[in-house]
Amino acid sequence: MSWDVSRRVFLRGAGLAALGVGFRPSSLLVRAAEGATAGNKVLVQVFLRGGCDGLNLVVPYGDPTYYSLRGGIAIPRGEVVALDSTFGFHPALAPLKPLFDEGRLAVLHAVGNTSLSRSHFDAQDFMESGTPADKSTATGWLDRAIARIQGSEVTEAVAFSSQLPRTLLGPEPVLVAQSLSSFALRGRTWASEANTLLRAAYEGKDTPAGRVGQETFAAIDALARTPAIQAPPANGAIYPNATIGSSLRQVAQIVRAGLGTRCVFVNVPGAFDTHAGQLQANSTEFARIGQALAAFAQDLGPLLDDVVLMVGTEFGRAAFVNGSAGTDHGTAHCMLLLGRVRGGRVHGAWPGLSPSQLYQQRDLAVTTDFRDVFAEVARAQLGVDTSALFPGYTPGPGPGVVG
Amino acid sequence: MGVLSRVSAQIAAGDLGPRAAVHLLNRVGYGPQPGDTGRVLKQGLEDYLEEQLEAPPDPDLDARLRGLTTLRMSLPEASALYAADQGSAAALGRELLSAKIIRSVHARNQLQEVLVDFWFNHFNVNIADGYDRVATAFYERDAIRPHVLGKFPDLLGATAAHPAMLYYLDNYLSTASRVDPRTGRLILGLNENYGRELLELHTVGVDAGYTQEHVFDASRCFTGWTIDFRRGAFLFRAENHDKNAKSVFGLEVPAGGGQSDGEKLLQYLAFHDATAHFVSRKLCQRFVSDDPPVALVARCARAYQSTEGDIREVMRTILGSAEFWYEAFGAGKAKTPLEYAASALRAVDAEVSNGGPVAGHVSTMGMPLYQCLPPTGYSARGADWLNPSSHLARMNFALDLVSGGISGVSVDAARVARSSGASPDDPRSVATALSAQIFGRGLSAQTLDVASRVSRTGVPSVAARVAGVVLASPEMQVR
Repeated sequence: MSWDVSRRVFLRGAGLAALGVGFRPSSLLVRAAEGATAGNKVLVQVFLRGGCDGLNLVVPYGDPTYYSLRGGIAIPRGEVVALDSTFGFHPALAPLKPLFDEGRLAVLHAVGNTSLSRSHFDAQDFMESGTPADKSTATGWLDRAIARIQGSEVTEAVAFSSQLPRTLLGPEPVLVAQSLSSFALRGRTWASEANTLLRAAYEGKDTPAGRVGQETFAAIDALARTPAIQAPPANGAIYPNATIGSSLRQVAQIVRAGLGTRCVFVNVPGAFDTHAGQLQANSTEFARIGQALAAFAQDLGPLLDDVVLMVGTEFGRAAFVNGSAGTDHGTAHCMLLLGRVRGGRVHGAWPGLSPSQLYQQRDLAVTTDFRDVFAEVARAQLGVDTSALFPGYTPGPGPGVVG
Repeated sequence: MGVLSRVSAQIAAGDLGPRAAVHLLNRVGYGPQPGDTGRVLKQGLEDYLEEQLEAPPDPDLDARLRGLTTLRMSLPEASALYAADQGSAAALGRELLSAKIIRSVHARNQLQEVLVDFWFNHFNVNIADGYDRVATAFYERDAIRPHVLGKFPDLLGATAAHPAMLYYLDNYLSTASRVDPRTGRLILGLNENYGRELLELHTVGVDAGYTQEHVFDASRCFTGWTIDFRRGAFLFRAENHDKNAKSVFGLEVPAGGGQSDGEKLLQYLAFHDATAHFVSRKLCQRFVSDDPPVALVARCARAYQSTEGDIREVMRTILGSAEFWYEAFGAGKAKTPLEYAASALRAVDAEVSNGGPVAGHVSTMGMPLYQCLPPTGYSARGADWLNPSSHLARMNFALDLVSGGISGVSVDAARVARSSGASPDDPRSVATALSAQIFGRGLSAQTLDVASRVSRTGVPSVAARVAGVVLASPEMQVR
């Protein structure tokens, strides 16, 4: 009975194990079956690594200062996809305009936190732990959020990433994968024997490597029991050939197959750190984002109402162009939110771009703390109490982006 | 005075025997090959360490790399070739990757290879990025490798002026801002990318206390440092240099300087206390434990300061420390994907003639070599490398390896078993022999029992399947 073993090992939190929660008679099989019909709400966080430029993503084309600051890398008025009289999408985000008009896509500008710093590493670390300027926080913010909901299956939180993201670091189990379609043990001529022996080699091993091995086998089993996970995209959706495309295609598969997953983290490495040649990099990367989000919405159809997908990055970029047709590290960034959101509008107070309005006379200032956004989405999608989700910070009511 | 003079007499006397040898081989290199333990004990731990710190010529390795002809080109030659045919860069990348795996597995100077990996990662560049498709191989060979057991200030200087770094962190584009004489408008020229990462990642570290103004002025010191792409060489363009005075984290650079502004800053930072500490801590994290003891880091920083940043002396401090030898420190530190793959190949005495396919597996485990996108490089913390995706890839690598399913690699597990005195058709005998050869404290009873249950019939051979279980086991994931 490998199942009993794997249930036990899923519980890495000693407190839960002591309470015997891990031995409840419920099983992943039951959960998976429920999930298919229960309409479980899902939180999806898409993290653009490198400091994505919010001012060229959703362009303040109505603010003339933008054009004087940005010079040759400004997006011309005639090319933006206007959302209102002030803001417009970068032209590569055109596939998202219908979703915006239908109220299923929202923009949140000038979000961040000035303590995140302009270091990629620190800013990512602080944002993922949810504690700006405090490096002592051991867990990621989504790990703490998952700890507040029932259940402890390995498929409850999934990260499409080559490594465990800091956001999910902590005692809760996570299925980290780049591809779910090939998530199986090989072994060629002795596949069956290797499978049996390796499971036995990992059974009950209470070391970090031992526990990860057990999670790996549990994930293999969970995916094998849910063949619907392999279904092709629905409604004619076509994803772009890029990391964000293949990851969101698989997120949609998870949502449709009812795997019981409540949180998904999508890691997106890419050309976002645009110190040079920004226009070219923006066109390539933003097109992938636009196409992937549009395909995801088309693929899920009405199931999109169960999802809140938020796209963000560690910091925005300086308000002015640098000497290399690029921008250096900045402060506030811009988020996109898709699904069950109050869409069709650009949320967040606009701080302006004049010298006195810029943060330290160089960056877009922050008007919404990123933790207020994370907390609002976690309350809505996971039903958790967020008052103590971020050590040292009590989130406010939030910017009201979730519908 | 020998390396181990400060370590307890018990260890220096070799009382721990094979356990100490395996401990050493796992920490200074990519793990033991069959027979290594006995060889190192016969040579003596102390002599072995001195040899590793010396890194003498390795003709056997040179012979293995002889067929990789691009390794002997120069950056100017490669740049000319690339200018004529952009596709030529692919061969450079292929051979660099293959050489990386061959060196990791077959180099006698294991410590040198670990340090090349460590310092390349510290001064990361990305081979997937434009001109660095050409320059990366030469960056590792010419800017990193000669200095890995030398002086940190030389290493820092070599990376700062190499075209691969100038390209990766955009400094080749950075110029003084100036007023356009025709329009009277200010043309911004500065690019902060290198100036920031120099402080944050290469020298004093992000917590040293510098400010945005320091980043700005550090970047101004390097304006005009650029690349002559045609010649494939460093170029200083004085007309693009910002000649005004700068102030960086305690260093005042007077107005009127040129290329020397950047050189002064590099010297200043290389000898800064914060750099000594930052670099020492990172080395201790690699060689001792994920959270290295503060006292050891302080001793290493003192060694660094008293030797003008001599990396060999810092390494001598680490290797001679009780913390390094004390098994409880860093026990169970998880291997990175490269460490795992190289150690598995070494454990079964694999012959690697083409490292490319292995590098592909390492990439699937989450570590595409030479392609780390952010300037932070890959994490030195073992704990960051444990996750189901990587774990599945590791187990599949082990199974493919023993089944002869990785091209460019040949393995004969039965031969390894016989040479270790085991009976190759007896699973327990093979498992026991591998346990003694590869694991200092031996495999757990559980793994040993499971490996001994391998069926006596089937394909591949008994010895190969036992090796597959052992290489995929929990114990093999940690060093």
